[in-house]
Amino acid sequence: MNRWSIADLSPQALRLLALLAVMVLVILFFGTQIDRYYSTRMFNRVSTSVAIMALIATGQALVVLTRNIDLSVGSIVGFTAYAVGGVVTRFPDLNPAFAIGAAVLTGAAFGAFNGFFVAYARIPAIIVTLGTLALFRTFLVEYSGAKSIITADLPEWILSLPRTNLFSIGNLDIRLTFAVAVIVVVVVHLAVTRLRIGRKFYAVGSNPEAAVVAGIDSRRIVFLAFIACGALSGLAGFMFLSRFGNITVVAGLGFELKSVAAVVVGGVNIFGGSGTVIGAMLGAILVGLLDASLVRLQYMSEFWREAILGFLILAAVAIDSVFMRRLFAWRYARREKLQARLSAEGKAKGE
Amino acid sequence: MNNVSKLCIAALVSAGCATGAAADAVMAQKGMKADMVLLPKFLGILVFDQANTGAQEAHAELENPGELLFVGPTPENSVAGQIEIVTTAATQSRDAVMISNNSGDQIVPAAQAAKDAGAKVVTWDSPIPSGEAEDVFVAQVDFASIGEVMAEMAHSILGGEGQMAVLSATPDAANQNSWIAAMQDALKADMFSGIELVDIVYGDDQSEKSYDRALALVDKYPDLGVIMAPTTVGIQAASKAMQDEGLCDEVAVSGLGLPSEMLSYTLNGCATEFALWSFVDLGYLTYYTAYLMATGQIKGEIGESFVAGRMGEYTIEKDPTRENGLRVLMGPFTVYNASNIEAAAAE
Repeated sequence: MNRWSIADLSPQALRLLALLAVMVLVILFFGTQIDRYYSTRMFNRVSTSVAIMALIATGQALVVLTRNIDLSVGSIVGFTAYAVGGVVTRFPDLNPAFAIGAAVLTGAAFGAFNGFFVAYARIPAIIVTLGTLALFRTFLVEYSGAKSIITADLPEWILSLPRTNLFSIGNLDIRLTFAVAVIVVVVVHLAVTRLRIGRKFYAVGSNPEAAVVAGIDSRRIVFLAFIACGALSGLAGFMFLSRFGNITVVAGLGFELKSVAAVVVGGVNIFGGSGTVIGAMLGAILVGLLDASLVRLQYMSEFWREAILGFLILAAVAIDSVFMRRLFAWRYARREKLQARLSAEGKAKGE
Repeated sequence: MNNVSKLCIAALVSAGCATGAAADAVMAQKGMKADMVLLPKFLGILVFDQANTGAQEAHAELENPGELLFVGPTPENSVAGQIEIVTTAATQSRDAVMISNNSGDQIVPAAQAAKDAGAKVVTWDSPIPSGEAEDVFVAQVDFASIGEVMAEMAHSILGGEGQMAVLSATPDAANQNSWIAAMQDALKADMFSGIELVDIVYGDDQSEKSYDRALALVDKYPDLGVIMAPTTVGIQAASKAMQDEGLCDEVAVSGLGLPSEMLSYTLNGCATEFALWSFVDLGYLTYYTAYLMATGQIKGEIGESFVAGRMGEYTIEKDPTRENGLRVLMGPFTVYNASNIEAAAAE
């Protein structure tokens, strides 16, 4: 029996394939609706804007894998963008590595705050991070004293960052920020799938009791997941600063919805334990693609775009759960049938 | 009599009395107590902070023994937060509430409650559209003239012919909406027949959203010549987007911006021309208006004149840009370009 069938692929691989198929369909659809849709400009738009969201989605995916959720990512992005912007405005000669490190550490500190309450105080993540969503934003409002970070005050190296091209394929620019995001995602993906500690994220998410029995310190894993999510959001905050320059207290508002959408659409199970970081990045790309495309639809009103994002989350979860249940039922039935036939053949031979 | 002459001596120092028109204009009597609240659309935008600076200046100058609070909602909660703050001001029996309204007519019940509790409701920057529950609106400039100036800037940038798109703040911002409407009216004139307004999009006064919207406009309309952003956040985000994508030669950015924030873009040619008024002055004038009303020195009726310290004399009039409502018109505004921006940014 070496007939290959698509149904033999792992659910993970199937999810990624389905996602790619949806992406192709989306691109084909918008191609018929929008003039000059297939342009290198469009590619550059999506790739540069996705760089920030892919990082946040990666962090979110790590948290969701452990059966939790982080709703405070937007506030973390906003705060780090502002704080680091303030520091480099005051000290323009600061070493870039230090500025980036400060962003990551600031984010990680916020993540540790979340993680402490979720992992050790045993408060549900949705409550903790809903609270810190408002709390971190209020820190920002207080800290900023109603002043904005202004593009003109930022050092040149930060301003030129989003324009920096790593290399070009024809007219397709691969910008530095996009490349960095992809590298980070791949590294995190490898760490989660290949390292011993990475596998523990899946173990804790898929069955916390069994994980504890197996000797895994599940609290520590959840704590680490939040720290990692905070650190990645901090890095995203730095990229946000370099891309938009002008940072007000509204920076990063609403990113929690987008990141959760990217993660769920990317095939990470919202109940934890399954999904991939690569999937989350593809989810972020799909969300970014829709965002960039819908804006260009003549008949699409401003107010509907958020609604479509919400619909996408619902559809992804619903289709995933229905489809996966069907798939497992079908596989089970096929195996039963196969076994029945094999035993019937065996009997026939025996006679 | 003694009192009046003392006042006029004090006023002689300021511009108002020197004009000689002070005969029937009310001179502010200092040192009367009024607890006041200055409410921006939301916290964290530089222009509102500047308005607060102006209001604090007037507060100190008038030696008001009462309190001046600068409170605003957090950005994600602007509409509900504004209503809450006005309601709180009513229950705390503040004497004046100064609102840059971001809540459309939804603010009316709360503002009415504040009025019923004895507060004067003075709007500034952005009025209550229906004019209900509002004593007077301190208008930065004549709304119709903002529309004309935007049309003229587009005309001069495009050389008389081309496509223009608008990148606004939130879809329900009363001030931006009426400026855009005024600009659409102005565009009907023969002089502007070569200019086509192709789209109006909203960046919600968020840098990231405005940046993406600006790029989408460029992609959507390949012949676009100018993006008009009547908001300080939008104009800056659009300028940075054009600069990052190397599009400044094709698409110019214009609208309303702060010189200190726009300096580099004006000098490098991404935003050659834009306009604005002084938000410090707006806060200062708003404070004077509210103080005089809260202390009963003026009643808030059409035709009343008063002297607002260093800024001179103002008169309350019917607001011609709304069906109902009164206004105090500040004006004028300044058009900035490479010739004057450096001096303005240094201020």
